[in-house]
Amino acid sequence: MIIYKEWLKTRWVLLGILLVLGAITFYCFLNLSKVVEIRGAELLWEALVGKDTVLTEILRYLPVAAGVLLSAAQFVPEVAQKRLKLTLHLPYPQGRMLLDLVLYGLGVLSVLFLLQAVVAGAILSRWVVWELVARILRTMAVWYLAGWAAYLFTAAICLEPTWKMRALEALVAAGLFVLLFKSPIPEAYNGFFPFLLVYVLLSVSLLYYGVARFKEGKQD
Amino acid sequence: MGPIITCEHLTHWYGKRKIYEDLNFEVAPGRIVGLLGKNGTGKTTTINILMGYLKPRSGSCRIFDEPVQSVSPLTRQRIALLLEGHVQYSYMTIEQVERFYSAFYPKWNRDAYYGLMKKLKVAPGQKISRMSNGQRSQVALGLILAQNADLLVLDDFSLGLDPGYRRLFCEYLRDYAKAEGKTVFLTSHIIQDLEKLVDEVIIMDYGSILVQEDAASLMARYPGMTLEDIFIELTGKY
Repeated sequence: MIIYKEWLKTRWVLLGILLVLGAITFYCFLNLSKVVEIRGAELLWEALVGKDTVLTEILRYLPVAAGVLLSAAQFVPEVAQKRLKLTLHLPYPQGRMLLDLVLYGLGVLSVLFLLQAVVAGAILSRWVVWELVARILRTMAVWYLAGWAAYLFTAAICLEPTWKMRALEALVAAGLFVLLFKSPIPEAYNGFFPFLLVYVLLSVSLLYYGVARFKEGKQD
Repeated sequence: MGPIITCEHLTHWYGKRKIYEDLNFEVAPGRIVGLLGKNGTGKTTTINILMGYLKPRSGSCRIFDEPVQSVSPLTRQRIALLLEGHVQYSYMTIEQVERFYSAFYPKWNRDAYYGLMKKLKVAPGQKISRMSNGQRSQVALGLILAQNADLLVLDDFSLGLDPGYRRLFCEYLRDYAKAEGKTVFLTSHIIQDLEKLVDEVIIMDYGSILVQEDAASLMARYPGMTLEDIFIELTGKY
């Protein structure tokens, strides 16, 4: 039933994200298909192998935008008018409830990202060999991780009851995004990815911290 | 059966401002107890402490003999909560909010909810955010009545309601609580509403409890005065 509530809250924003994500992905591959049509797939090969590009750079910041939007749609109504009190009062274990909320958000984002990655992989594999497709997808995986991070940090900032701590969390998030988008070189994060993944997943603890502080009655 | 709510030696400060010190009170089963006080005397603070949303500087409260900071989900099932301003999931419709809550409460009384909605003449598909304050208060009341909880906690239920809705709310609540033997703990800043509603009053002033007494015996001590007159007599003019 927690999922039902989250669905009611986010379905229109989700539809919006899906449409925008779909439209920009379509635009990206439409452009590439025109290049292939006019100058042949060799040009893509040349660009992929000879230049520091993955051809899908236009999609780079979309997961972050999707993460922020979905998180805001989910958590701003929870904290508006201190509605979180209603949710925490439900006869359901509070820790599990928070986990359900987060799993819903991360799950939905993952489906969207997976859908985009599958479409990208399917289209690109018509033009270039699988090794190059995998190189593009591995590079895009960092963008998706940034989408998860955006979701989690936005949620943490929403749930945190004081502005001082919110500002601190926003600073940590900004630092993380600088790191995640610092290098435009394809596959630059390959060796570092597992550590980044663990770091991002550990940021779930910030949400629990925020709720614990809310329950203590912390305020500015 | 022991008290449903017990608070002992409750002290709370917001920064350097003392809200109250060494507050003690109990709420017995089946009683409707009104916590009255001027703005800023700590009514909502007390509700927040009781519901586990605020840690007091010292002292403790128990509900159904469990510490309020760690009330189990099973016990929360026995406590219906009305937040100040009748806050609800306003992005849901009348029907959706009923479906959502009913899944959490095994003793859910669908008829109690829809009975009240019928009086309001609202369509099941109507969104709560598009309703008036008065209508929203009735939705919130319908939801807490349908939970069939043993204890109802209502924080400033009269906020934003016109006299007609306040009266409807009080009458409906009193009839329900008395018929079903429910315990009610409520706060309000509109004293006149409570005269016919509460069995017992706790009158707070800045820093402490002035009176905790059976409403009828308090009224008998001040013949010819309304509860509001008594409140002003005890706490001074606003």
